[in-house]
Formats: sequence, structure tokens, C-alpha cells
Amino acid sequence: MKNRLKVLRAERDWSQQALADRLEVSRQSVNAIETGKYDPSLPLAFRIAEVFGLPIEEIFMPR
Amino acid sequence: MNKPTRTPAYKRYFRRHLVLTAAYLLAVFLTSRFVPDDAEPTPLFVALALLPGIAVIGWIWAMGRLLVELDDEFMRMLEVRKFIVATGVTLGLTSVWGMVELYTTVPRIPIFFVFPIWCAGLMIGTIVNRFAFGTDTGCPR
Repeated sequence: MKNRLKVLRAERDWSQQALADRLEVSRQSVNAIETGKYDPSLPLAFRIAEVFGLPIEEIFMPR
Repeated sequence: MNKPTRTPAYKRYFRRHLVLTAAYLLAVFLTSRFVPDDAEPTPLFVALALLPGIAVIGWIWAMGRLLVELDDEFMRMLEVRKFIVATGVTLGLTSVWGMVELYTTVPRIPIFFVFPIWCAGLMIGTIVNRFAFGTDTGCPR
């Protein structure tokens, strides 16, 4: 899956660690999702959507 | 969340591991002290010889609990991948060596070494994770 995590994070001026803290996961997890190495589970994807205040499909999209 | 190994799940794992390691060392000391070499398998000697093995089962339980208690799904996946690599390494090595033992007179590996081989496999799993994801949990074993 592709995602817009990096762009959305930059718009809010959040570091990977800041986003990780909001999601209650490790910075490594955010990095792995952001770089497309790891696709989050549905519950985590919903949490990410909630943190950014956007629907999931505006954050994640098929390759 | 800070370093993955500073999360409550890892802290609990390290605490359990420390206690179990102390129990293992004590059990090995007691067994070595009170069971003579080449002892007959009397109930007492067998019971004493079982003690270190119980501590090893404790280590396995602690690793299982770590998987259950880890909240971070990516970290859990890295741990599971390490376990799978370690299991593959152990099955591969023991099966291949077992065949060689069957057909030739090479030295027999005591079955006791299966767990240390698996633990060495975890280190290989760490390397595999670093290649695949550029990171690992940083959890020493």
C-alpha cells in the first residue's frame, strides 16, 4: 500500500517520534509504515486516520 | 513511546528473564553439586536433573508472554519473524546433522543443544530483520 503519512506529518510539523507518541507505537513502526515496508493492521490504520482527522482512504491507497 | 525495549512489555520480559536465569544457574549448581556423574536414574536424581529444564521452559514461557503483551504490532511482527527464522534454522540444522549422524560416525549432538541452537537462530533472525526492515526490536537474548 502507498500512504501519505510523510506529507501529512510534514504539514503538521510532527516528527516521526511525535506521531509515534500520538499513536502509542514505536518510532520504528511509524518509519516502517511511512516507507511502505509495513502495512498497518486495520485497527492501527483507523487510529492513524483518527490522529490526522481524515478518512483512511485519504491516507492509504493501493499501489 | 521511547525505545521499543523500554516499553512495559519488554521491561516485564527482561525482569522475568533475569529471575529465570538466576533460577537456571541455581538449578545447574544444585544439580551439578548433588547428582554424581553417570548417576542411576533414581527418582531423586531425575527430579534434580529436571530443575534446569524447568527454568528453560520458563524462558520459553517468558518469550510467549512477550508476544502476547507487546502492544506495538510492528515490534510483535519483528519478534515473530525472529522466532520463525530461529525455528527454521533449528529444524534445518538438527535434521541435516541427524541424517549425517544416521549414516556416518560423526559425533552426536546432545539434544540439550536444541535450545541454544534456536537462540543462535534468533540472532540470525535479527540480521534478517535488519536486512528486510532496516531495524529490529533491539531485544537482546
